Amino acid sequence: MIQIEHLCKDYNGVLAVDDLTTTIPEGEIFGLLGPNGAGKSTTILMLTGLIQPTSGRCIIDGLDVTCDPIAVKMKIGYMPEDVGFYGNLSAEENLAYFARLYRMDEEKRQKRIPELLRLVGLEGVTKNVGGYSKGMRQRLGLAKALLNEPSLVILDEPTANLDPQGVADYRRIIRETARKGTTVLVCSHILEEVSKVCTSVGILSRGKLVAQGAWKDLAAGLEETSGGSMTIRIETRDPMTDLFHPDITGITFSPDRMTATITAVSDIRDAICDQLYESGVRLRSIFREGLSLEEMFLSYYQQEAQ
Amino acid sequence: MDLSGLITVAQKEFFDHLRSRKFLLIFGIFLVIAIIGMVGGIGEYNDNLDSYNENQASASSSPIRGFIAEKPSILSVYSNVATYLVFLGAILGIAMGFDLITREKESKSLKILLSHPVYRDEVINGKALGGILALVVSLAIVLLLSLATLLIYGIVPDASELTMILIFGIVSFLFIFSYFAIALFMSTVSEESGSALIYTIIIFIILSSLIPMITKDTVMEGIVGSAPDMPQQLIDQMRPGPSDNQSRMDPGSTARDSTTSETWQKYNTKMQAYLEKRNAIEGILTLFSPTMNYETMVASITSTDDGSDSRGSNRGSFAMSSMRAGEQAVSTDDALGKIVNNFLALIIFPAVFFGLAYVRFMRLDVR
Repeated sequence: MIQIEHLCKDYNGVLAVDDLTTTIPEGEIFGLLGPNGAGKSTTILMLTGLIQPTSGRCIIDGLDVTCDPIAVKMKIGYMPEDVGFYGNLSAEENLAYFARLYRMDEEKRQKRIPELLRLVGLEGVTKNVGGYSKGMRQRLGLAKALLNEPSLVILDEPTANLDPQGVADYRRIIRETARKGTTVLVCSHILEEVSKVCTSVGILSRGKLVAQGAWKDLAAGLEETSGGSMTIRIETRDPMTDLFHPDITGITFSPDRMTATITAVSDIRDAICDQLYESGVRLRSIFREGLSLEEMFLSYYQQEAQ
Repeated sequence: MDLSGLITVAQKEFFDHLRSRKFLLIFGIFLVIAIIGMVGGIGEYNDNLDSYNENQASASSSPIRGFIAEKPSILSVYSNVATYLVFLGAILGIAMGFDLITREKESKSLKILLSHPVYRDEVINGKALGGILALVVSLAIVLLLSLATLLIYGIVPDASELTMILIFGIVSFLFIFSYFAIALFMSTVSEESGSALIYTIIIFIILSSLIPMITKDTVMEGIVGSAPDMPQQLIDQMRPGPSDNQSRMDPGSTARDSTTSETWQKYNTKMQAYLEKRNAIEGILTLFSPTMNYETMVASITSTDDGSDSRGSNRGSFAMSSMRAGEQAVSTDDALGKIVNNFLALIIFPAVFFGLAYVRFMRLDVR
């Protein structure tokens, strides 16, 4: 479990992270979202012990990152956005070096490294990492992040350079990792990616956490704050007659009147179904359009900016 | 105390050096030149030995006992090697250190490395230790090959010579390590390897060329002033001629002798003070240059310091050379005693630069 308490980071008078407080439960895949300069990377660097917070603290599995950095680092697997390795060494040699830093014994290294290389699809690649593509480095970065069987995996823009197959592999690996009880923190600006793997998200804006929770809860909260305006799409097997409801603010039909798009100030789907049934129109589908991830993110971001 | 992080980093750095193409290339050239230097030095040594033996033979057969030159030392062979080492060794040290940290910054591996359970001091100490081990191995190879070369030519060093060869190796190591430490420091302060290399080369030029230039006659005279002129009376006195015999027979020569002696005394005191001042400044400047420290130490160790100062200062001055004549033919203990300051300077110099690199690395921003 990760506990972040009143975390602040000041870079020469510029507050990169401002009183950040949150808790991420064990086994959760948590997405940290935010525009450039929101403080995502700074938060990650403080979690990994690479920089010291100006105030506040990060606690990972009950250990304070500032007070016990080595013990915390033993529990963390980190993959930075611009993942770098030793170009003069092979993937296996790179991982063996890092494994030795984790005090992993020879026997465990012999078992774990080939297993991870197989997992990320780099098995049998013997050339030095200097000759790797960005995607291959990213795969190796993921293997490195999982090397010590960490209780927290921190991934900064994990799919930035991956091809579609790589992205699919990454999602599978992350889900499997979380299933084993590992907490995964994904920092990304690719919202779709975050929505596909993360069980909950936190939105950072100007160093502050402006929203946190499951996708659905965040969307519901946003709808409440946006006055309840929503879009309902209807598809029928027969042409529709006019639809009436006091909460409808706008309606458009297709030329064959087999589909309609309604904007309303409340969820009037039940009332619409009743009307269609009474008029003998067979319903194919009716659904309320949710906010897209981008809309939701921008909405929170704009609210904070205002 | 858990040293596993330090050992892991040091091991990696050591093997990185040994596998590095640039290290192997420079070391290869270094090795070839050292062997060529050895062979050349052995040739000279054999020539000197032949003339010494001839002198010995003629001296023993002649009833007149005259001046017999000292037996040439095999250490003179190493002074030949040192002339190459003073340049190539520095290049090797620089090549090993200039990108130790910048390479990590450029390849973005530093962030990954420091996210592992390893303290920063273990990283910088491990890097230095790996470099030191690689240097020790390189110098050990050079020394062993040099000994092998000596043996091939039928020259067997005795125990004291072996000790001096070992001291030569230690001094050479300290010299190369000095430039390694400078390069390591530059690597921590620079963002790119190119900049680190340029800054290190600038310092190398200052330490190996500029400071020795300052200690040369003309510049030193600008700093300390020129040497006191010898009084005409003394010059006349020293000039050989018929007056020599006349003066001895002259009844007033005793009075004149005492005046000359007084003048000589005054001149000697003035010159002594001047030399002391000049030597002090020169000595201080020398301590700041690993190259000059190394040259001074090698000259003492290999006993080739003839007192006329290899860097050119004071050359041509009768009084100075006569005063320094007493410094010739020093014993091994004297030779080591003379270089204590240089030796300490050669330890302190890399220690200071390594300390600076350490502090800088501990505070390095890894954003």
